[in-house]
Parts: sequence; C-alpha cells; structure tokens
Amino acid sequence: MSTESIVSAIRDAGQKKAPLRIAGRGTWLDAGRPVRADQTLSMRDDTGVVSYVPGDLTLTVRAGTTLSEIQTITGEHDQWLPLDPYGSDDGTIGATVATASAGPLSSSFGLPRDLLLGVEFVTGRGEVVRGGGKVVKNVAGFDLSRLITGSWGTLGVVTEVTLRLYALPKVDRTFSIALAGAEKETASLLRAIIGSPLTPFAFVLLNGRAARAISAGEGPIALIRFGGNESMVMAEAAALAQVASPREVDSDIWQRVRELDDGAATVVRISTLPRQFPGVSARILADDPPETRMCIDPRRGVLRLAVGETDEVDANAFETTGVDASDSVETIFEKLRPDVWGEVAPSVVSDPLSQRIKRAYDPHNILNPGILGDLL
Amino acid sequence: MTESAHRAASISSDQPAIVDRLSEIVGAQHVLVRQSELLVYNSDGLPGYRRQPKLAVFPGSRDEAIAVVRALAQDGLAFVPRGAGTGLSGGALADDIVVVGMHRLKKIISLDVENRRATVEPGVVNLRLNRHVAPLGLLYAPDPSSESACTIGGNVAENAGGPHCLKYGVTSNHVLALTVVLPGGEVVELGSRTGESDGYDLRGAFVGSEGCFGLVLDITVKLTPKPQTVRTLLADFMSVDAAAHVTSAVIASGIVPAALEFMDGPTIRVVEDSIYAAGYPRDAEAILLIELDGLEAGVSADLESVRRICLDGGARNVRVARDDAERTKLWQGRKKAFGAMGRLAPHLIVQDAVIPRTKLPEILQTIHRISEKYGVLVCNVFHAGDGNLHPNIAYSADDPAESERVHKAMTEIMRACIAAGGSITGEHGVGLDKMRYMEAIFSESSLNAMCELRTVFDPDRRSNPGKVVPIHACKEWQAVPPGRLDFSTPRPLEAEPARPSAR
Repeated sequence: MSTESIVSAIRDAGQKKAPLRIAGRGTWLDAGRPVRADQTLSMRDDTGVVSYVPGDLTLTVRAGTTLSEIQTITGEHDQWLPLDPYGSDDGTIGATVATASAGPLSSSFGLPRDLLLGVEFVTGRGEVVRGGGKVVKNVAGFDLSRLITGSWGTLGVVTEVTLRLYALPKVDRTFSIALAGAEKETASLLRAIIGSPLTPFAFVLLNGRAARAISAGEGPIALIRFGGNESMVMAEAAALAQVASPREVDSDIWQRVRELDDGAATVVRISTLPRQFPGVSARILADDPPETRMCIDPRRGVLRLAVGETDEVDANAFETTGVDASDSVETIFEKLRPDVWGEVAPSVVSDPLSQRIKRAYDPHNILNPGILGDLL
Repeated sequence: MTESAHRAASISSDQPAIVDRLSEIVGAQHVLVRQSELLVYNSDGLPGYRRQPKLAVFPGSRDEAIAVVRALAQDGLAFVPRGAGTGLSGGALADDIVVVGMHRLKKIISLDVENRRATVEPGVVNLRLNRHVAPLGLLYAPDPSSESACTIGGNVAENAGGPHCLKYGVTSNHVLALTVVLPGGEVVELGSRTGESDGYDLRGAFVGSEGCFGLVLDITVKLTPKPQTVRTLLADFMSVDAAAHVTSAVIASGIVPAALEFMDGPTIRVVEDSIYAAGYPRDAEAILLIELDGLEAGVSADLESVRRICLDGGARNVRVARDDAERTKLWQGRKKAFGAMGRLAPHLIVQDAVIPRTKLPEILQTIHRISEKYGVLVCNVFHAGDGNLHPNIAYSADDPAESERVHKAMTEIMRACIAAGGSITGEHGVGLDKMRYMEAIFSESSLNAMCELRTVFDPDRRSNPGKVVPIHACKEWQAVPPGRLDFSTPRPLEAEPARPSAR
C-alpha cells in the first residue's frame, strides 16, 4: 500500500460522495461518535520503516505500523518511543496520532503531539500534505502536525509519521504503594510525592476495582515508575521509601494498566487543575463504585473512568467529590453507548474555526463523518 | 516646534480617518505617523531587511487592542503584530502598512504556584516572567537568547526555542491556552486553562503562526519546577570536527542534557573581545557548553559519562562551573554572542537551519568550504544538541558586493542543510527571510494546505501579509492584494478587497 493508493481511494470516494471510515488495526473502532460510512479505508497494510538513523533518535514509519513493531525495531538499538496509550501495542501509530491517545508515560514524555516531528496525510480532496519534518526542532510553516494530531481522521488520513525517540533507560523499576489509609493520610502522601523533586516516568493511582481487575492489589494503589541511570533510580527509590512503603513490582504491570478499558462500555477522561488531585483523588479512591475502574494521573491532572456494560456512567463523579467549583472541569468522552452521544456530547468541533478547517480540508465530508460531531 | 505641536500638525484633517479613530482608542501619543518616528520600526533583529511602516499603533490594554483590530478590520487595513522586534526572520516588518505594537500589554495577569501556571499579557518580557517566578522555585522553560528583551507574545508567534529546549521543549510545549483576537475582530479562546481539551488543536495550530492568524491578548503558560541540581560543563577542542563528533556521541548515548551548545573559534574570540567575555579559551577551535540537570544522583552519574565522552572524543579540557556566578558567566557569553558580532560589522545575517544530528560533522565541513569559496567569515554558535545551526556572517549591507557574496554563501549553506534532510528554520521562523526556501521543503499541496489554514483564521489575509508562505503558492489568494492604507485617498468601505468566497 502506498500514499498513491490512498489518494485514489479518497478521490474515488469524493467523486461518489461515499464517505470512508478510516481504520488502523481496528483495535479501538468502538471509540468516538458513530461514523456514517459504508466503506472502510484500512491502513493496516501500509506498514514499515521509511527511515531510521538511531544516532538521530528519530524514526519515520508508515501509519499502519503497530506500536509493538515500533518498540521491536527501536529496542534493537536500545531506544524506544515512550508512548503507551490505553489499549495495547497492537494498535497502529497512525491511529494513535489521529486520536491523540496517550497513557501513563505522557506525564513525563508528553502527548503524541509532543513526540510527533512530522506527518504526511491525505486530505479529503485527495491532496498529499506534509507538515513538520524529520528533525527534532522545526518551525517551518504553519504547524500542520499539531493540527492533524487528535483530529480523528476528519481532516486527512495520516499515511506517514516521523517520531522523536528516546534511549531506553539503563534501569527501569516500578513500585506499588497501597493506599489503604484514611482519606487524609492518602491525600498527604500524594501531596508529598507530587511536591517532591522526584521525576518518575509515570505515576498513577488505581481504585480498588481497577487494582483487582489487573491483580495488582485488593484496595486502591499508587504505581510509580522510575527510569534512568542506576544511581538516579536508586536515589529516587530511596527517596520514595522515606515518604511511603513502596513494594517493587514487575514492570509488566503497566501493560495491564493500559488494558483497564477492556470490556468497558463507557470511557471518560476528566481533567482539571492539578492542585485538586491529591484531595479529590483520596476521596474518590476511598469510594469503590461497582463496575467503575478508575485510573488517575495526578501530575497530568487527568482522571480516567472505564465503566462496565451494566452500569450507567457517572461523569459527574469527580465533581461531586469536591472539586473546587471555581476551576472548570473538562470532560472528554472517549467511548459511549452509540445512542447516547447525541445527548451527552454531540460535537467538539462546532465552533466556527473548527468548522471552517473541516470544510477546507474535507469539503465533501467524506472522512470519518460524524466522529467528532457534525458540520453545521 | 514642540513635540505636541508636531503631533497636532501630523494628525490633521488631511490624514485618513483611521488615524483619528486609532488616536481616540489608544491616545494620540501612542499612534505614530511621522516617517522619522517610524524609522525605529523599519527593521527587526535581522537588520539587513528594512521596510517602512505607514503607521504604528500601540494599544495599552486588552480592550484597546481589540478595538484597534476592529477599527483596522472595518477599513480593511492590513497590519503586522509586533512584540519587542527581536525576531530574526524579518517577520515583524510592515511594508507600508500598519504596525500594531503589543509591548505595552505587559501585565502578569495571574500566577498560580500550586498548579504551576501563569497567565500573562503578550508584552511581558520572557526574562521578566522568569525573574518573577524564580523565587517560587519555578521557571518558564523556553529561553531564547534574546530573553532579556523578547516578549512572550512574540515567543508564541514564533514558537520560540532556546538552549534549554533540548530537554524541555519549545514554546508550544509550554502554552496551555491563548486568548486571541482574530483579524476580523472576533475574540476566541484556544486550548484550555484548566485541563485537556478535545477537538482540533487550535492552540497548537496558532502557536508559531508568525502573526498571520491574529493577535494574542493573553497566554496561559506552564511553569516548570526548578531542577534540584544544575551542572554546567565547558569542553574545549582544538578542532571543530572533534567537537561535532562529540555532540553526536552525547546525543547517541541517550543522555538528554538540559542544553548542549556549540561555539566555534571565531565566535569564541569575538565574545572574548567583547563586554560579554566569559573566560572561554581563546585559542580553542570549538567549545561545547553542556548543561545537565535533575536529581543530584542522576546528574552526577551523567556528568561523569559526558566528561568521559568529551575526553575520549579529543577534548583538551573539561571544566565544570563551580558556582552559579561562573555558570551565569559561561551562559552570558553564549547568549550574547550575536550581540558581540556587532564588533565585526554593522549588519548580521543569521541562518537557523536544523539538520539530523548525525550529519553535524559533515555539515560543519561543508559550511567551512562554502565560507572559503565566498571569502566570508562564518561564525558558528548554535544549539548543537538539537542540530539547530546558526551560521552567521557579520557584514555591511551597505556594500553591495559584500552583500551579494554573503547572501550567496548563506543560500548555499541553506541548500546543503536541506539536502542533508533538514529544515530551514528551527526557532526563528520563516518571516520574510526564509520564504524563498519554503518551496524547497514543502510541496505545492502542502503550502496550499497552510494557506487554507491561514484563511480560516484570517479570511482577508490582512494579518502580517506576505510572510511565511509565498503568495503564489496560495491558490485562492493570487488575485487580490492585501489592504493598504492609502494616505492620499482614504479608502472608502465599499472599496475593500473582496473576501475570498466562503466555502
């Protein structure tokens, strides 16, 4: 598969006014609003490395390459792409960029937009567009890479990406801390960790149900991951031991954390100002609502809820546990029952600028129509 | 004639109505119309380019800025937003149109230590924000070398970088939200002050739009906790090639220094001759200034690794700054290097290409060859860790023969960087200076996609017209010139340029 074949598929769809559902490996197709399209444009066969010079710590791959393939290729040179979106490494990099999906590592290494150096995409008019480049710093032209990241395939089909890589840490250790104490105790522990000079790769809190779902504990826990040279990780582990009682766990626990969504009918990401998180997290973790797996990234300021099939989502759960109402709360729905989207979150692109961008890049509205909301 | 008499004379009935209207909004003393006063605004940090504006207006508040933009919109007039004018790409030049200077909007609106963020007006000087938050153990990471003069608003427009962006990322990585007045006068919020937002990343699209998408009214930035430990190391080399190889080796080792800066022999000697003398070894052919930060234990181990890489790679000496004073001095020499070049000649041309970091030794040899071919002295002082080169030549723009050689050399250097797989600008922006290279790195359809994005924000393309994307690359724009202020015959409203048809 090549960019040319995608161009012709899109031009063909444009002529017939026959919208396309854009898909990678199809691991996350139930996310987002329902798409009105009869045909699927699958990127799964458009794979492979375009260029990789390990000394530059940059990698250019076709969009259908899976995250797991990227980790294998880069791992051979003791490098990695520190991007761990919820789900698994079976998904494609194109879909990860298109949906701006990120996981626990993002509080240290950034979101997809921060790791994406350049992109090639095909617009709804079938034009091949490149933004950014292959070098680690670049301000040439308007920032089309950031525009495309998180646009869910509605402005263009991502065909190729250039990514910033990092060296694999010499040491990579993960610790689990049971949050069994009283609410106040948990809050002050969280404050102590967040306020410390520690620089963990990842730091998340799981409620009891989430911890049990991945066999990581019986009650709520904190997971903290340190990476770097040996003396640094030793110093961090020692500093952590001064404020908590950490227990070292196998790093494969992070893979299980990413799978917390499995089987969930509803996934919601709620964010507000970081200062709210120690208190609110402690309160919310003490609760153990049925069917609700919770993963909180206090440094990123995000609470992620995955709610099972049988339960109604309570998107206000966070606010009702005492968020200071003077700070606004942003709620992002990743996955909802198809019939409730229209009522809960009909569109995130209803503002005039977004509407004009969509009309400019996909005038026939043939790319994933409806997934972010409709053209007005 | 007194100053006020001058003003009274200049804002007379033969002036177009817009001058009176702007004067009503911002006060007559903040509107410049006299050519002699406007001379100050006829260049930016790249003095080889000059364009004389027709008028300059300096709003003193957010409301005034909005009113100014709306008044200009009403008359269909084109304008150029300007911060401190330290830009290095000619991006703030206004060719016979209006300059909207934002430096009077300099309030730090709010500072939220707990959440590590600040909201500032666009005219706040970068270093002032850093001095303001330093006592609280925080810093604003993007640190362009012009930090003591450049404004955050200008940084947003250019997506500015700086030495420490190697580890901490550029401006876009630190901007959470913006309030913007679009060229049509509409005020919009981009991004989110409190959390994560979904939908299109309009904030991301706006940062780095070089004044072509509108004027920023306020910026909410992320602040970074000061690292526990900072160590600055100076390695000196007797060959440029050795220093270049060491740079590649440090990057390949996987250690991410906070900064990794390169200065060649000619630059070292100019700096050491200037008031910014930093104690660099004058006989060295290259130095690397490498900074490591983080937790004490991690920094000490990395420092040893970096020292070893330097010595193995042929460093003559590796010296670690003993205290903050020494560290500041080492950095001052680097940050003021462009200023020091003023000792050599009145004008300076600076390139900003970025190359893959493994190509550094090869490109530096090429640059040397080009400098000999054209008989010009190229000084190299740059962000080596990012592969962001700043080859610069001090020259006299008033000498046509010299100018021609300098420009030919620079063009050839740029071509070599592009051929190496690089970009034409890492942090200075395209502006006027690099527009001619845009077609060498972007296809026609990519440039057109950029034009379309601009049209979304600025349908009449009145904000900083003629910059970034060559006009002929924009399919829909070719027919219609941007709105100019005509002093002899005030433009009636119905004579405004036609808007491109809405699609």
